[in-house]
Amino acid sequence: MNQPQDTTPAISVRSLVKTFGRGAEMITALNNVSVDIRQNEFFTLLGPSGCGKTTLLRLIAGFELPDQGEVLLHGKEIAHLPPHKRPVNTVFQNYALFPHLSVSRNIAFGLEMLGWDKAKVTATVERMLELVKLEPLANRMPDQLSGGQQQRVALARALAPEPRVLLLDEPLAALDLKLRKDMQLELKRLQDETGITFVFVTHDQEEALTMSDRIAVMSNGLIQQVGTPHDIYYAPETRFVADFIGDINIIRGEVNSTSDGSMQVTLAGDLEMTLAGTASVGQSVAVAIRPERSHFAVVGAPETLSARVTDNVFFGAGTNIHLMLNNGQGFIVRIQGQESGCKPGDTVAIAIERDAAKVLDN
Amino acid sequence: MVAPADISPTSDSQKLARARQIDARRKRNTRLYLLLPGLVIIGLFGLMPLSITLVYSFLKPGSYGGVEWVFSLDAYVQFFVERDIFDDTLSPNWAYISIFSRSIGLSFGATLGALILGFPTAYYIASKPAHQRNFWLFLITLPFWTNLLIRTYAMLIIIRDQGVINLALMNAGIIDKPISILYTDTAVFIGLIYSYLPFMVLPLYASLEKLDLRLIEAAYDLYASRFKVLTKIILPLAKPGIVAGCILVFIPGLGAYITPELLGGGKKLMIGNLIAIQFGSSRNWPFGSAAALILMAVVMLALLLYVRHGAKGARHG
Ligand SMILES: Nc1ncnc2c1ncn2[C@@H]1O[C@H](COP(=O)(O)OP(=O)(O)OP(=O)(O)O)[C@@H](O)[C@H]1O
Ligand SMILES: [Mg+2]
Repeated sequence: MNQPQDTTPAISVRSLVKTFGRGAEMITALNNVSVDIRQNEFFTLLGPSGCGKTTLLRLIAGFELPDQGEVLLHGKEIAHLPPHKRPVNTVFQNYALFPHLSVSRNIAFGLEMLGWDKAKVTATVERMLELVKLEPLANRMPDQLSGGQQQRVALARALAPEPRVLLLDEPLAALDLKLRKDMQLELKRLQDETGITFVFVTHDQEEALTMSDRIAVMSNGLIQQVGTPHDIYYAPETRFVADFIGDINIIRGEVNSTSDGSMQVTLAGDLEMTLAGTASVGQSVAVAIRPERSHFAVVGAPETLSARVTDNVFFGAGTNIHLMLNNGQGFIVRIQGQESGCKPGDTVAIAIERDAAKVLDN
Repeated sequence: MVAPADISPTSDSQKLARARQIDARRKRNTRLYLLLPGLVIIGLFGLMPLSITLVYSFLKPGSYGGVEWVFSLDAYVQFFVERDIFDDTLSPNWAYISIFSRSIGLSFGATLGALILGFPTAYYIASKPAHQRNFWLFLITLPFWTNLLIRTYAMLIIIRDQGVINLALMNAGIIDKPISILYTDTAVFIGLIYSYLPFMVLPLYASLEKLDLRLIEAAYDLYASRFKVLTKIILPLAKPGIVAGCILVFIPGLGAYITPELLGGGKKLMIGNLIAIQFGSSRNWPFGSAAALILMAVVMLALLLYVRHGAKGARHG
């Protein structure tokens, strides 16, 4: 029982640089990216379009060679290996099912290429069909399947050879919302059942937050932050991460005094709080606060920000109250239901939850 | 004021059925009109000459060409068997059968050659960026800008004993006697490949261009080597182009006239030449007609077998 855990990362990417084109048209798709992806982890690459997610995945799969840096799989350098020599499989965004092969032949393809014997191939294909619940469709051709079914075949095909790592490039992007939610759960279940490391690409922050063990937020070829969904959501380190994920208030603060890792900051010229972080006295910093972690308080109560209501926006599950702070910056407070009890022009006081305010790096 | 008959379900479903009928008729008719011009051309210039040929093949030859309107199976009999002029005994007529099999062999070889040469060419063009492909396709179609006869004469000049190739090889001291290519099967073979290569490349290109490169990546990702990617993914997906290209080369190759006439020097006959002679110097129109129809039958049989086999292959994946 007490065997030492193997803590070698499943994938370790070190100082990867990848550029496309030459001269004036050169694009740096990855600009010195390093990240460790743990074994059996559901790891998500999240970022806006064009930030380099697919490029990173293709470097891991072997479809592209890096300009610099290395890719380690369970501690072994693989950057020089061609794709068919890497125990890594990909689920492509457009599924890339072989149109001339039936569902079961598609799933068997990788196994046959590996030279597995017939009986083992048949058994594995059957197990995979069961896993993705496609037994009745085994003999269909890909063009006779719905989008969601094709997606499952692509998954089964990539899982069948039992790769050490499964790469998924926006596999749910083409599905409608309902199916998407179902597939999110299904993917999570598959990952639990197989114990394979998943590297999942998405530009949908909600998807990333629900599914992942850890998330790497990328922008412009850089990794901005790596952390658990909770960290990424409540403790964004950079302005980009804070902005990219969910609604957030970012307000100005003045540093009054500092002491060993914490500092006194005056928010919006109104409220003094003790926040974690280091900056020099007199410096102006950006402070992020989630709308659902601030609340209304009695006007004039201590430790509150005063503000004026500008708008009420009902969005179904709740209402966003748009406010204007004393320093002219906007602020949003989120409440449950529709009854805010305040109207534009009212003066209100905002209390901020403990630890809800986070100083951003830049 | 209420008109219950109008909103009853039966009348609604009747209306829908009527609408469906009209819709179906409209679709059918539209298709027919679209088909008509093509049908007229094929009927007038395709089926009519074919019928004439069919009728002629069952008549007796006229002494100065043309036909005599007397029913006879002689043309067909003559094709397969020889009647001894002295004792009227019958023996298989190997002369014509061998011309037939030589033609099939040559055309088959040329088809294979064109496929082997054309596939890499088409693949190369299809893998170029879109704006460069047109240039390459233009180069492929360039030979069509000149008459086949002239191009074949040009080939004749290149490969003859005193031709460019032989002179160059002799001047370089590689050979001291010209290699005779002209008026051999080899010359006809090379000529056929040259003449029909574009007909192979174009359909191959058309199907390779549609090939999704991500499928190739997916195959590599699933542990396929380069060779396996070719045989398991690229070739099966290019199959429609391969079949079309082979048909487009094999059939005209089988009936080729100019190439064997010039490069085979009239000694190495192919079916096309045999048929032409019957309508020319031999003045045996019924025999020419019969030979043409036998050729057609062979081709159709081959196609039928191929399509049957091909369809089965596709179903089994
Ligand atoms: N083959 C290529 N040639 C030139 N530029 C490329 C190539 N592939 C990617 N790029 C560029 O590299 C950058 C990163 O691309 P990448 O495909 O990794 O983005 P992404 O994060 O996957 O975006 P998306 O969410 O839209 O898929 C982009 O600016 C893109 O234009
Ligand atoms: Mg992408």
